[in-house]
Amino acid sequence: MEHEGAPEQCEKRQYFGPLLRLSLACAASLVLYVACFAVVLDRPLSFGFLHREIEARVARGASINGPKLIILAGSNGPYSHSCATIGPLLHLPCVNAGVAIGIGLDYLFLRWRPLLHPGDVVYMPMEEAQYTRGRAANALGPDAAVMLHNDRATLVHLPPARWMGALFSYDLRGALMAVIETALVAEDFHDPRAEGTGESNAFGDHVGHTAALARANASVLQSITPYHPTAAQICSGYGSLLIAGFIDWARAQQVTVIGGLPTGFADSPIPDATIRAIRVIYESHGALFLELPNRSRYPRNAFFDTADHLNETWQTIHSLAVARGLVPLMTLNREQDISNSKAIKRTSERAAGPPAEITSNTTASTVPPPGPTP
Amino acid sequence: MLFHSQPFLLGFLPVCLAGCFLLGRVAGRAATLAWLFVASLFFYGWWNPPYVLLLLASIAANYAAGQYILRLARAGRATASRRLLACGIAGNLGLLAWFKYADFLLHIAAPRAPSLGIFLPLAISFFTFQQIIFLVDSIRPDRADTGFLTYATFVAFFPHLIAGPIVRPKNIIPQLQHRELAPNADNLAVGITIFLLGLAKKLVLADTFAGFADTGFNAADAGAQLTLFEAWYAALAYSLQIYFDFSGYSDMAIGLARMLNVRFPLNFASPYQSRNIAEFWRRWHMTLGAFLRDYVYIPLGGSRCGAMRHSANLMATMLLCGLWHGAAWRFVIWGGLHGLYLLACRRCGFTLPRPIAQTLTLLAVVVAWVPFRAASGMAAWSMLAGMAGLHGSDLPRMIVHALPLLGWIATPVEVLPHLGDARTLSFPEVSACLALGWGIVLLAPHVHELSDRARAWALTSSFALSMQAIFFAPHVVPFVYFRF
Repeated sequence: MEHEGAPEQCEKRQYFGPLLRLSLACAASLVLYVACFAVVLDRPLSFGFLHREIEARVARGASINGPKLIILAGSNGPYSHSCATIGPLLHLPCVNAGVAIGIGLDYLFLRWRPLLHPGDVVYMPMEEAQYTRGRAANALGPDAAVMLHNDRATLVHLPPARWMGALFSYDLRGALMAVIETALVAEDFHDPRAEGTGESNAFGDHVGHTAALARANASVLQSITPYHPTAAQICSGYGSLLIAGFIDWARAQQVTVIGGLPTGFADSPIPDATIRAIRVIYESHGALFLELPNRSRYPRNAFFDTADHLNETWQTIHSLAVARGLVPLMTLNREQDISNSKAIKRTSERAAGPPAEITSNTTASTVPPPGPTP
Repeated sequence: MLFHSQPFLLGFLPVCLAGCFLLGRVAGRAATLAWLFVASLFFYGWWNPPYVLLLLASIAANYAAGQYILRLARAGRATASRRLLACGIAGNLGLLAWFKYADFLLHIAAPRAPSLGIFLPLAISFFTFQQIIFLVDSIRPDRADTGFLTYATFVAFFPHLIAGPIVRPKNIIPQLQHRELAPNADNLAVGITIFLLGLAKKLVLADTFAGFADTGFNAADAGAQLTLFEAWYAALAYSLQIYFDFSGYSDMAIGLARMLNVRFPLNFASPYQSRNIAEFWRRWHMTLGAFLRDYVYIPLGGSRCGAMRHSANLMATMLLCGLWHGAAWRFVIWGGLHGLYLLACRRCGFTLPRPIAQTLTLLAVVVAWVPFRAASGMAAWSMLAGMAGLHGSDLPRMIVHALPLLGWIATPVEVLPHLGDARTLSFPEVSACLALGWGIVLLAPHVHELSDRARAWALTSSFALSMQAIFFAPHVVPFVYFRF
C-alpha cells in the first residue's frame, strides 16, 4: 500500500508545490509585517510626539479635582483656543484636550470618559472633517499606531476592527518614515518644530505660534481653498455617530456638552445648511450649541499655518469670545438642571409620569451668543 | 470593476475562476467560453451597464465585417475586401472619434461652442484597436476561422478589456480555442504571483507616488510657483506613478490570464533603463508601440521612402500615439515631443557611454511627462520653469543645517509648502520614497525576468503592504490608464 501511495503523494506534492510556496511567501510577508510594525519599528518623532501630547493632556485632566472645562477638538482646539484665557473667565480649571484632526474620536472619547464627572463641561468646536470622517479612515489615524506601540490598554477596549486597523496602520510611507525617524532619534536629532511653530503649555494650549512666525506661511495661507462638507455628509458621517454617542453618554453622567464651530477663513464661510446639520447633532441629543455671531470666521491674516489654526494673537481674541459665549449657556444649563431636578422631585413625590425633558430649542437657540466681529 | 477593489478580489475573481474550471470539467469548452464571455460582460457592466450594449454591438458588427472580408479575400475579390476593410476601419475610428474626440474637434473648430457632453465609454480605445487588428488580419485568406463565441470572448476577455495589453487575435484566439480546461498548478501559482506583484506595484508604489505628484501638479495648476526641488520631486514622482500604475496593471492582466491558462504578451520591460528613446519605445507599452508600428508607421511607408517622408511618418505616428492617450493638446504635445526625440535619436550619429545615454534618455522622458500630467499649458510651463530653477531653490532649514553645502544652492525655509504633506519631515520622507522607487526601476529586473526565488522574495516584501492598502487604506485610486 505504501509503495502504491508514495508516487501519488509525490505527484500531489509536485502539483501543489508551487501554490504552497506562494502561500508561504504570503504568510511570511504578513508575519514579517506584524513583527516589524508591532514590535520593532516606531515613529518616535511623529507618533511619539502625539503620544506625549495626548498623555500630557490626560495627566492634567486627571490631576484636577472638581468641575473642569475640557475642550475636545482636533488641532483647531489647541491652536485657536486658549484654556489659559477661557478657564479663569469661567472660573473653571481647563484642559485643551484636542491634539490633531487625525486622532480617532472613539479613541479620544475613550481616553477622556474616565476623567469626566458630573458638573464637568465639555466644549467641542470640532473641525468639519471630524464629523464626516469615515470608519476606515478613523481606524487608520495616527492614534492606531500610537495605541499599537504605547497604549495597548486602550486598544483592547476598542472593537476588533480597530485592532486590525492598528496592526495594519503602516503603509510604505509609514514604513520608510519609521526607519528615518528611528535613525534621526538615534543621532540625537534636534527637533526644529518648537522654533518654527511653537509648543504646548501646561493647559494643552499651543503657544508661540506668533503672527511674526505666521508670516512665513502667508503665501500658503493665501492659496488654501477650504473644503466644506454638505449637510448630508455631516449627517451620514461616522464621526457624527461617534459624537452623538458621546453626548448621550455625557448626559447620562451629568456632564454638560456644548458644541461649537471650528475657526476658519471669513472669506470661506461654512454653508448655513452644514451649520444647521452640525447644530442638530448636538441639540437633538440634548447638548447645547454655541454659535458666535461671526461663526468663528476670521480674516486670513489671523491664521498661522492652516485654515484651522489661528495665530497666537487671534487665538486670545477668539478665546475671549468663546468664554463670553459659554457663560450664559452654562448659567442656563445650571438653571435648567435645578428646575429639572425640582421637576423630578415633584414627579417622584407624586409618583406619577416621567421626568420633564429638557428641550434643546429652549437652551441654545434662545440665547443670543455674544462675540467679536472680525 | 477595478482589479484592486474588494468586489473584484473577493467576489468576481474567485467565482469566475471556480466557474471556469468547474464548467471545463463538466460541460466542455463551449460552456467555459460562454462563462468567460458572460463574466467579462458582467465585469464591464459593473462600471456602467448600458455600455455593455455598445460593446456587444461593436463585437457583433466587427465579427460580421471580419467574416465577410475573409470570405471576399478567399474568393479572390481583393478590391472588394479592401473596400470593406476600409469601411470597417472607418466605422471603428468613427465610433472612437465620436465618443473620444468629438468635443476636442468641436472646440478646435469653435472654441466657444458648448460641450457636447459625450460620456466616454470605458476601454473604447482598447477594444476598438483590437477589432481593427482583427479586420486587417481578415484580409489574409489564410486567417484561421473563428466562431462568434470565441471572437466575442477574445474581445471582451476581462483581463485585457479595460486597459490592455493590446493583444492580437492570432495570438489569443488559438489559446482560447485550445486552452487547457483544468486548473494548472504552475500557471495558477505563476499567475497569482505576477498578479500580486502587479497589485503591489499599483497599490504600494504607484498610489504612494500619486500623492506626491498630485501635490506638486495641483499646486502649479492653482498658480503656485514651485521651487526647484518641489518641481523636480513632483515630476519624478509622476514618472514613477505612471510607470508603476500602468506596468502594475499590465502585470495584473498577464497574471489573471495566466491563471486561466492563457498567455499575454509582455507590455513593459524596464523602460526607464533604456539608453535611447527608440529603445524606450521598444520597452514602454510594448503592445501599443507594436500596434502603431505595424498598423500606422509601416503602412505610411516607414523608413523606406526618403528622409523627409520618414521623419513625417515618425512624427505622424507619435502624434497619433499622443492623441490615443486622450483628446487634449497636452497629449499631442507629449506625442510630438517623443516624435522630436526619436528624430533627434535617429540623426545622432554617435554613441554615448551607457550612464550618460541612460541619464539623457531619462531626463527627456521625465520632461515630456510634465505636459502630459499638467492640467493646463500654464501649469506645465510653471512646472518646467520651476524645474529650471526660475522660481528659486528652497530646502528645509533642518536639511541645510545637516548638510551645509546645500546652502550654496538653496535658501533655507521651514517647510516646502508643495512637497508631500508640507511637514517638517516631508523632504526626507519624499526623498526616501523616490530613492526606493527609482532604485527599483533603474536597478532591478522586471517581474517577468525574475527567478522564482526572487519573485517569492518580492512577494514576501510586498504582499502585506498590498493587503494593508486593499483592506485598510480608506480609498481606492483608479488606474491612470482608465482614461485612455
